[in-house]
Amino acid sequence: MSHSTESSNLIEEHFDPAASRRLSSLSFAVSAIGLLVSAYGLFASREQFAFSWLFGFVLVFTLCSGALFWTILHHATDSEWGILIRRQMENVASILPALAVFFLPLLLLCAPILWKWWDKAPGVDPLLDAKAAYLNHTFFSIRYVLFFVGLGGVATVLARRSIAQDEDGSAKHTYAMRNAAIVGLPVFGVCLTFAAVDWLMGLDYNWFSTMWGVYIFAGAAGSSMALLVLIVTGLKNAGYLKAVNLEHYHVMGKFMLTFTVFWAYIGYSQYMLIWYANIPEETIYFKIRNTESWHYLSTFLVAGRFFIPFPFLLFQSTKKKPKVLCGVAAWMILMQIVDIYVIVLPSLHQTGISPSIFDLASLAAVGGAAAGLYFRRLSASCLFPKRDPRLAGSVNLHN
Amino acid sequence: MSESRKVYGLGAEFESAAALMAAAEKVRDTGFSHWDVHTPFPIHGMDKAMGLGKSNLSAFVFVGGFLGFVTGIALVAVPSLFLYPMIVHGKPYTWATLPAFFPIIFELTVLFSAFTAVGTMFAMNQLPRLHHPVFNWDQFKRFTDDGFLMVIEARDAKFSETRTKALLEEIGAKNVTLIHD
Repeated sequence: MSHSTESSNLIEEHFDPAASRRLSSLSFAVSAIGLLVSAYGLFASREQFAFSWLFGFVLVFTLCSGALFWTILHHATDSEWGILIRRQMENVASILPALAVFFLPLLLLCAPILWKWWDKAPGVDPLLDAKAAYLNHTFFSIRYVLFFVGLGGVATVLARRSIAQDEDGSAKHTYAMRNAAIVGLPVFGVCLTFAAVDWLMGLDYNWFSTMWGVYIFAGAAGSSMALLVLIVTGLKNAGYLKAVNLEHYHVMGKFMLTFTVFWAYIGYSQYMLIWYANIPEETIYFKIRNTESWHYLSTFLVAGRFFIPFPFLLFQSTKKKPKVLCGVAAWMILMQIVDIYVIVLPSLHQTGISPSIFDLASLAAVGGAAAGLYFRRLSASCLFPKRDPRLAGSVNLHN
Repeated sequence: MSESRKVYGLGAEFESAAALMAAAEKVRDTGFSHWDVHTPFPIHGMDKAMGLGKSNLSAFVFVGGFLGFVTGIALVAVPSLFLYPMIVHGKPYTWATLPAFFPIIFELTVLFSAFTAVGTMFAMNQLPRLHHPVFNWDQFKRFTDDGFLMVIEARDAKFSETRTKALLEEIGAKNVTLIHD
């Protein structure tokens, strides 16, 4: 009854172009500083640079892929609740094609450092020989292209259609986006899984976990929803997206809770199976991360990614307090940073935590560039899909 | 014979879900507290129209779940760490091996939550019961088909056979009927 099909009478909102230019220039400036420091690292300390850059790159990649997941899910399930905030998911997901560039330094200059199988001749390690059909230079490069064609393609189609609908308001775009999303779901799953296998599991070619892809996905989806909460709140505080209310926060909080629990479920299952089976080539992953000073960071991750946000997100009242929810969201993004850090850096510093300026530099370089691209897109279109036929349903959302 | 029976309340029929919703808002604003609506399908926003708050069920479930969590920890930790410490599968018996017990702790948390949820729901709804006065109302069975019904109970402080009937008719009710116990 409350889901009226009438027009929502919302006035279209455009982000101030001057502010958008200012914010994107600032982000690009941060990125430039990060790039300069990283470039120095590339020549002065290539090993550290390689791992730091992979850390920064994968972190931003997971955040953007998560946004793509939420966009796809939204269309594939024909959802109504999030139409008001869908444009922001699209904007974040649209950074994906540009991220391909940031992988090139790793592929072209650092591959033998990161992925030890890269330079191993056949016949040296029978375990590697058995995987040669998958782990070889040509197929690895082809897969890199396919990941970004797949993910970037779906993101671009969904964003273009959505903006085209702003112009003509035709329902045919809704159907087109739904079809693209249904095709996009398996594309997304396969691309993210194999990207995680190639770039992260490949750090130790002897190690394997069948849950690796879904583990990376769980972290990506949860932290990306947290990012969305922060973006929406930022826009609201700047005086935009006035139609977003506590009901929307409630839904976003529920998804944050879902993926906090899901991350713990997947992370625990992976740990439990490896720990209990006790097979040396599997346990090596946790052996490195649960000894020396890495142990503290791993324990902190378990506590921080699940046990701390869970009680906050469990209660309806906290999900309906934007300030509390934003605090939890910022914390979740911090935990995603810790998660990726604990995945990548122990491969280099097996004897303990060894922070480097290049970790920060790569984060600034890739994160700054992504933020810059996001702010540029922010003023390019209305802040919500203004002529989506079902916008009113999202405005009058009831949980 | 019906004269001697106690009055349970007043039953009213409405034309549509929208009419029932509008009527519910008016009855809510009049200040009734013991009344309910019966419809063939859930109506979005009816809880707000009726002025229903958030159910207390979740608080009970939280307590139940927490008790299950504590029981789970106690059940695995006390025997394995203190009463009968034993090395199983080459895993030592310290708090560091707690992850081996997570499934049990988790299952008991879920089990206790589920039992509390079902049990409390039954208690809050005063179930099970074999009969209810509303079944004495012939039209009541229509709520599983095409009826949009409202029942105001006689135990409500604001209830009066004549004035409540007039109110219901004023807000669009058809066939306002007296229901006996």
